[in-house]
Formats: sequence, C-alpha cells, structure tokens
Amino acid sequence: MSDTAVVIVTFLVSYGLIGSYAVYLHLKLRKAKG
Amino acid sequence: MTKVRVLLGLAGVALVVGLWFALTAPADALQGEYSRIINIHVPTIWVAYVAFVVTSVGSLMWMWKKTPKWDRLAASSVEVGVLFTGISLLTGMIWGNAVWGTAWDWGDARLTTTAVMFFVYLGYLALRNSIDDPKVRAKRSAILGIIAVVQVPLTYFAVNLFRTLHQTQSIRPDGSTMPDEMIVAMMVNLGAFTLLYVALLVARIEVAVAEEAASARDTALAGDAVKPPKLDEVRDV
Repeated sequence: MSDTAVVIVTFLVSYGLIGSYAVYLHLKLRKAKG
Repeated sequence: MTKVRVLLGLAGVALVVGLWFALTAPADALQGEYSRIINIHVPTIWVAYVAFVVTSVGSLMWMWKKTPKWDRLAASSVEVGVLFTGISLLTGMIWGNAVWGTAWDWGDARLTTTAVMFFVYLGYLALRNSIDDPKVRAKRSAILGIIAVVQVPLTYFAVNLFRTLHQTQSIRPDGSTMPDEMIVAMMVNLGAFTLLYVALLVARIEVAVAEEAASARDTALAGDAVKPPKLDEVRDV
C-alpha cells in the first residue's frame, strides 16, 4: 500500500469512528425517547 | 432544527475545511505524506485534554452543588474524551510505524502516560456502569474525575520531563519547528475538532437527560404495578 493510501485510510478510519459514535448517540437518544 | 443538529452540521463543515487544509498543506521533507496525520493526531489529543479538564470541573461542581447536571457534564465529557484519545493513539501508532519504524514503545514516556490515561478514563466509564444508585455513582465518579485529571499535565509535559522517543512540542513560546502552512492547517483542524467536541458533548448530555427521564418513567410504572392489598381482600384470607 502506498504512503498516500495509508494516510487516506487513516483519515477515513478516524472520521468513520467519529461518525459511528454520532450515529450511536442518535440511536441511544431515539431509544430513550421511545 | 435542534441545537445539537446545528452544532453537528457546523462541525461537519469545519471538518471538511480542515481536511482540505490537511491534504493541501506541503508534506514534510523527511516524513512525506505521513506528516498529514498530524492534522488528526494533535487536534484529537488536544480535545481529549480539554474533555478531561471539563470532567474535573464538572466533578468539582457536583461535589459542591450536588446537582445532576454537573454529573452529566462530567460523564459525557469523559465518553467523548476517551473516543478522541483512542483516535489519537491509533493515528500516532500508524504515523510511528512509518516514521519511527515502530508503532509502540513502552519505554516512551508520552506513549505510556497517554495509554495509562486512556485506560483510567475507560475505568471511569466502567465504574459508572457498575453502580445503579445515581447519587453513589455521581459521588464515586466525581472523586475519580478530580484525581484522574492530574494525568493531563503529566501526559502533556512527559516529553519535556523524560526525553525518550516522542518529540517535544512543535509549537513553543520561543518559536515553531513547522512551516507556516503546516501550522495553519493544524490550527484549522484544531478549531474544527474543538467544535466537534462541543457538538458531541451537547449531544451526549441530551442523551443522558432523555435516559434519566425514561428511567424515571419506568420506575414510576414499576411502582404503579405494586398496589397495597385492600382491607377486604385481607379479611377474606
């Protein structure tokens, strides 16, 4: 894997983790509100 | 549109702008493309430090005022802080693997103190999950939230106190070791990630408020189900 590809994957994984947490919060909120 | 959605939307736009700066800033002569990772690695650990300081403030205020909102603030901030510490550790390992030739070194002061800080705050979340009584939970986690914040300056200054593998701060009062374009890109990302922290913190607090309301609702229903026996029923027996 080239250096550029590793860097792009690193950015994608980081943003993906943050996005997943935001979705998790959204689902938790929906569940709590019934 | 709710306050949380507006904040998350603004943070999303700021992250896209930050990404553009990160990808268009010049690459380092020695590190090459890997130097761009600094635009996630540094802002995420900065946000984590802020998050843990906010937790200590929330914990202190809970000890003083004993109002649930301070406990909510402290706990919500830890959750976001742990997420960002994890991302900073992950991106640092990818960068280190390429530039240092090793993803991890237990002999390095900054890496080890950051890992310890990460696990202590994971322990904070585990502690909260293990206690049902809201007041006991708030008190015990407030004590841990106040004590654990000592790790923030210890981790930050670890590179100055112990000269091991991790380099010292790139931006210092006596000047910077980075060119202006790279500093601007990092500062834009610092602002974007700080905004993202605020948005996620507000969202997490909203979830905590909704969960407490749901819990109160469920408790009331459970209480309603248990009715005291009527006098006539008791006499029949």
